[in-house]
Amino acid sequence: MFKLIFLKELRDIIQSSRFTISFAVCSVLIILAFVMGAQNYLASKAQYDAAIQENRNQIAANTEWMMVEHSIMLPPQPLMTLVNGVSNDIGRNISMSGRGELRSENTRFNDEPIFAVFRFMDLEFIFGIILSLFAIIFAYDAINGEKNRGTLKLCFANPVSRAGYIGGKLAGSFVGLSVALLIPILIGCALLPVLGVQLSADEWLRLALILIAGIAYFGVFLAIAITISASTVKPSNAFLIGLVVWIFAVLIIPRTSVLISGRIVDVPNVDEITAQKNRYRSQLFDEDRPKMSNFQLPEGTEMEDAMGVFQSFMSDLSEARQEKVDIFNARLNEDYTNKKRQQERLALSLSRISPTSAFTLAATELAGTSLTLQNHFMDAAYTYQESYADFMNEKTGSNRSSGFRMVMITTDDTGEEPDPLDPDELPQFTFESQDVASASQAGMVDLSLLILFNLIFFGGAFRAFLNYDLR
Amino acid sequence: MFSLLLQKELKNIITSPKFTATFLVCSVLILISVFVGINEYENAVAQYQANQEIARQDIAQATSWGRVRNLLHREPNPVQIFVSGVHFDVGRVSSISDYNDVKLSRSPNSDETLFAIFRVIDFAFIVQIVLSLFAILFTYDAINGEREQGTLKLAFANSVSRAQYLLAKFSGIWLGLIFPLLIPILLSLLLLLAFNVPLTTGDWMSIVTLIGLSILYITFFMVIGILVSAITRSSSLSFLLLLVIWIGGVLIIPRLGVMAAGQLVPVESVAQIEAKQEAFRKARWDQYSAELTNVWQEREAQMNGMTEDERRAFRDDNEWTWLEEDDASRKLVQADIITNNRRLLEEAQNRKKVQEQLAFIIARISPVASYQLAAMKIAGTDVELKSRYEESMRAYKDDFSEYIQQKEAEGGGHGGFNITFDSEQGLNIDFGRNDQTLDTSDMPQYQTPELSLSATLGASLFDFGFLGFVTVLAFGGSVFAFLRYDLR
Repeated sequence: MFKLIFLKELRDIIQSSRFTISFAVCSVLIILAFVMGAQNYLASKAQYDAAIQENRNQIAANTEWMMVEHSIMLPPQPLMTLVNGVSNDIGRNISMSGRGELRSENTRFNDEPIFAVFRFMDLEFIFGIILSLFAIIFAYDAINGEKNRGTLKLCFANPVSRAGYIGGKLAGSFVGLSVALLIPILIGCALLPVLGVQLSADEWLRLALILIAGIAYFGVFLAIAITISASTVKPSNAFLIGLVVWIFAVLIIPRTSVLISGRIVDVPNVDEITAQKNRYRSQLFDEDRPKMSNFQLPEGTEMEDAMGVFQSFMSDLSEARQEKVDIFNARLNEDYTNKKRQQERLALSLSRISPTSAFTLAATELAGTSLTLQNHFMDAAYTYQESYADFMNEKTGSNRSSGFRMVMITTDDTGEEPDPLDPDELPQFTFESQDVASASQAGMVDLSLLILFNLIFFGGAFRAFLNYDLR
Repeated sequence: MFSLLLQKELKNIITSPKFTATFLVCSVLILISVFVGINEYENAVAQYQANQEIARQDIAQATSWGRVRNLLHREPNPVQIFVSGVHFDVGRVSSISDYNDVKLSRSPNSDETLFAIFRVIDFAFIVQIVLSLFAILFTYDAINGEREQGTLKLAFANSVSRAQYLLAKFSGIWLGLIFPLLIPILLSLLLLLAFNVPLTTGDWMSIVTLIGLSILYITFFMVIGILVSAITRSSSLSFLLLLVIWIGGVLIIPRLGVMAAGQLVPVESVAQIEAKQEAFRKARWDQYSAELTNVWQEREAQMNGMTEDERRAFRDDNEWTWLEEDDASRKLVQADIITNNRRLLEEAQNRKKVQEQLAFIIARISPVASYQLAAMKIAGTDVELKSRYEESMRAYKDDFSEYIQQKEAEGGGHGGFNITFDSEQGLNIDFGRNDQTLDTSDMPQYQTPELSLSATLGASLFDFGFLGFVTVLAFGGSVFAFLRYDLR
């Protein structure tokens, strides 16, 4: 009997005009999300390549490593454009220095505010906002609609248990709709290589997990809608309640939790911190001033060596300053980072009441565009800084910590032009997003939360239906 | 008869659960959004004031003109409570110095990425997405729903014209939806007063205009709902059709417009432009040092054949002139670099403008984009926010540099420090005077770019007109459709 109800439900869904229209819309949306993501990726990649090339040209125009202004960039990744997360809001460029604090600059939205006006349409948006709404539209009259038409009573004239009926109903709608969703998803996935976006095996795995999270999330809203349908008499009321739930889950809870955590945990002002750092730095410089003014070349220094002696005097001073600055900054940063983490953790935990947040967090974690993206990028940049410093040390004999540079330009009478630099000699910056294992571990919490939501609302639907008045 | 129909419609709506649900949800949403907006605005103001204070202190503590560091901050504007626009996405601060050009960086969202993950919900977002959906919900069965219930035939058993009926229907729904909306809106205005948000008359006018625009936008969706309801037979079909229209208009077309423009008019990234600027800077300084070498060689050549004493005397005589010459050519280099930087930026900016224009033209296929663009214009948080500020900051920077240079010249000092390297006296570092207490009272003050109300209204007039036009058109369409509607 379960099988019969299951099949009937499937047939019902597939033959309805509601299904046809929403299937068409969902397909268009999902495929568009893939296409736009791919285009967006290719455009970002082109920009990235151009910027890298420009950076190389600029380095190659130098003849002294001492003079090089190097900057590293966060490479665009296909998953970033499919699930944007914070990737448009964090600085993508870091200008490198051998030592000291690095700062990422040039966020996508700051560079190109036009994209911030309407934002992008990514998978997270489509699943999080649109498909959840469709789930409600699909299932709001699953039970009470049948009752209104009188088919519910008819059905129970047969030897069928209530549990079997609701089970068949749930399974039928879930399978019918998720299979329907899978079609455009697979087309979208297949389009990626066609459009010229190559994903690694690792990325395919992540994408698959993201899509699983998406379907689980869709299932949550389906189960919620059926639960509501089994607890109300009129379909129109069920739809309204569903809509209210949707608005709360999608719009209100996530944002309010950020508001609440912001009220509870006070994070110090970033600008104040930057100003403190600047002031400390210039205070140290002022302290060193007399030393510099009183600098005397040691007796009997040859003129040719004078520059070198002075240079090393200056770099010793700045080295000592930098050490103090590092300690000072580290202390300030630690406090700030701790507070900020605390605020974030609180906000995220609160927001997880809403399945939409759970899905958003799972998807961004899996795509590598969650809040940790910035930390990863900065960590990678600091690791790179070490090899960059080593390289500069080797090339120039100093790691240029102070920003003080003195280059003696002498003209050789030989008239020989010095050779331009080869940018390939520089160590390469590589950015690997978190490996799939740790990303999925982080995403697993939310993925299991989604599955838990599914179970709860499936259970809720069962319970509500067992007590339902069939007449 | 008209008033009877109107009353019936109003009664129908007010007693329906749809009305209660809408009213509650909208009230909660609007109030929360305004509350969040006020909160964010207050944070932004606190940050702005902190930065003003930092800049003031830094200036007060500077001991030489060359070391005056200035910082400009984008001033938050209270209307952003309703339409945050690109406020959270574009940079807030720029340092003002001789060495770097103006560049707004540190967008609120990049400092607090948490906010980036869960987007802001502001009033404009709620109107654009949620209220338009509710407008559809109220009207999708306006005509065909009555037909299905059989009440349509009943109504026309009386002496009532179709046009009159439709008008009464529309007015009833309009009043039933708009009036309850005005309650949370008015409450949110009270919230502004309760939190002492400093609003000028101009701001109030902007807010009122924005509310008017929002009502027009909701009306548009209501009329579309009636139109679709008058051309379809069953209400479930019209609901689905409207949903498709809603998704297409609200979600797809605006984004497609921007994506298409991005494809058609590619622009260079800031990183790329900066690398180009850097390359020019370097080349220009190289050229300068080559020139300087020549100049010094020429000066040396003049001293050829002089005795040691004559040389010294000659040097002493000319030292000041030489210094000034070198300084002048150094300034020339800096000016060249700035000119080149700005030229590169301007080219990129112009290209971006073309891209934006194109994107917005395509996006305006959907009146939703019209609403959003007009709302952002009215609130002053439109896409030009960043370039507007950067332009005015650049103008300020020029004044500021000029002022500093003038002060330095008056004080006889120079920026930075001077290292002289002499074969006899050895090495000498001169930091200039660094014990001055600076009188900065006549320092140029930065003026936030003010947008006059007439300018913003003028800019949004097109979108206003366009929205009004499509609304009237859709209404005409629904009258036409209803006149031919089969009542059975």
